[in-house]
Amino acid sequence: MSFDRPKELLKPVKRRFIFMTLLLAVLVEMIPLPHGSTRWLPDFISLVLLYWLINQPRRVNVGVAFLMGLVADIATAGMLGQHALAYSATAYLALSRQRQLVMFNLGQQALAVLGLMLCNQSIMVVARMLNGSAFVGWSYFLPPLIGALLWPLLTKLLLLPYRHHSV
Amino acid sequence: MDFANTPSFFRSGPKPGTRLLLCALASIALLVGDSRYGLMEQARDGMSLVLYPLQRAVNLPLGMVRHVSDYFTVQADLKSENDQLRTRQLEMSARLARLETLERELNELRSLNAIKASRNDAAQLAETLYTGRDPFSYKIIIDKGADAHLQPGQPVVDGHGLLGQITRVQPLTAEVSLIIDKNQMVPVMIARTGERAILYGYGGGVEIRYLPLHADVRENDMVVTSGIDGLYQEGTPVARVSKVERNAGAAFSRITTEPLAGVQQTRFVLVLQEKGQTPPRPAEPVVPVKKTKGKKPADSE
Repeated sequence: MSFDRPKELLKPVKRRFIFMTLLLAVLVEMIPLPHGSTRWLPDFISLVLLYWLINQPRRVNVGVAFLMGLVADIATAGMLGQHALAYSATAYLALSRQRQLVMFNLGQQALAVLGLMLCNQSIMVVARMLNGSAFVGWSYFLPPLIGALLWPLLTKLLLLPYRHHSV
Repeated sequence: MDFANTPSFFRSGPKPGTRLLLCALASIALLVGDSRYGLMEQARDGMSLVLYPLQRAVNLPLGMVRHVSDYFTVQADLKSENDQLRTRQLEMSARLARLETLERELNELRSLNAIKASRNDAAQLAETLYTGRDPFSYKIIIDKGADAHLQPGQPVVDGHGLLGQITRVQPLTAEVSLIIDKNQMVPVMIARTGERAILYGYGGGVEIRYLPLHADVRENDMVVTSGIDGLYQEGTPVARVSKVERNAGAAFSRITTEPLAGVQQTRFVLVLQEKGQTPPRPAEPVVPVKKTKGKKPADSE
């Protein structure tokens, strides 16, 4: 099945590449999009972050997630620390089950990612509501679903440069 | 567990749990410090300065696409638009001439009565850089900031009416809280009757609260700023009443309004000067009011 993880040896991942993909995710986050698209667009920073957490746990850890959260906070003009808290908690959850996650095939991984991203959104909702914001409606939990659907595609894309026989 | 002879392969610094504890503590400290005490403004300024080139870079292709599509406009469109603008300009210049006479008269009267002319009409044009992605707050980021001497608290309008208020100024950009943001309140009056009220944003829209049941409000009434807070100039259109519900059981009538300005789709905005020169409140101990929180002194009424 093509959705299975490739059982092949990959080239070692460069630190530079991890940095580049995270930067790209931040850039995508900052594209001025028409209003309304933010209702369903997934959080790309957390998607890419989760990918590296699951596949390169020794390079990307809770601290990196925290830093990326800070960047996301500034980029989205939200409350400082909201994304940081959510990302570091999610990163911890992912890392604690990383050895299982990495063995899953892409479908199972997507399910796990869905759970993790829902957890992400819940933490942010709770943080905002404790601070006096109104509840924004259940559509706030739509982006994780779409993010999970994009997971196989993202994995294939990020693996491309590390295949030995890139056709 | 780390031992002295653990191979380096197994050594990976502190455990994830410890890291989580540290990071969670740090982010909670940030959350509290930022939202309750506004401690992180400096750090935010610095970070935004670092992110500014990225924003510009991301905006560049989009701007180019817009430029190209502007270039290939159909001539008929241009012509009709030109005609429209010309008519509008004619109307406006007629109105302006009348206004100028009135203004001169007003200034004469003011000088007769020894009142300082307080209107300051300087305005700055700014372009929307991007809208904040945070679904909890309704903010836009504009491309002028401390470099253009903007200050928190200045009102922002577009061609149709009041858009919001600058709530945070960064070196090159500024954040505008739209009137539909949850914490925004605008002192307004019904243009037809002059009845004063406060327009509350509730996150996604605006409504007038606390008007008694017998208040004279009808559908399609214009709502304009009343100018009694010393911040917004009086008479700027803000919203239009779309529905009035009078429920005998409730103490107040429920008035739904629609903002006039294109709060979510404008590209160019105009930053006005604060009205300023309000005489200080008598009596009452002076409590410094934070403008950055989007709260105006008028909400204590």
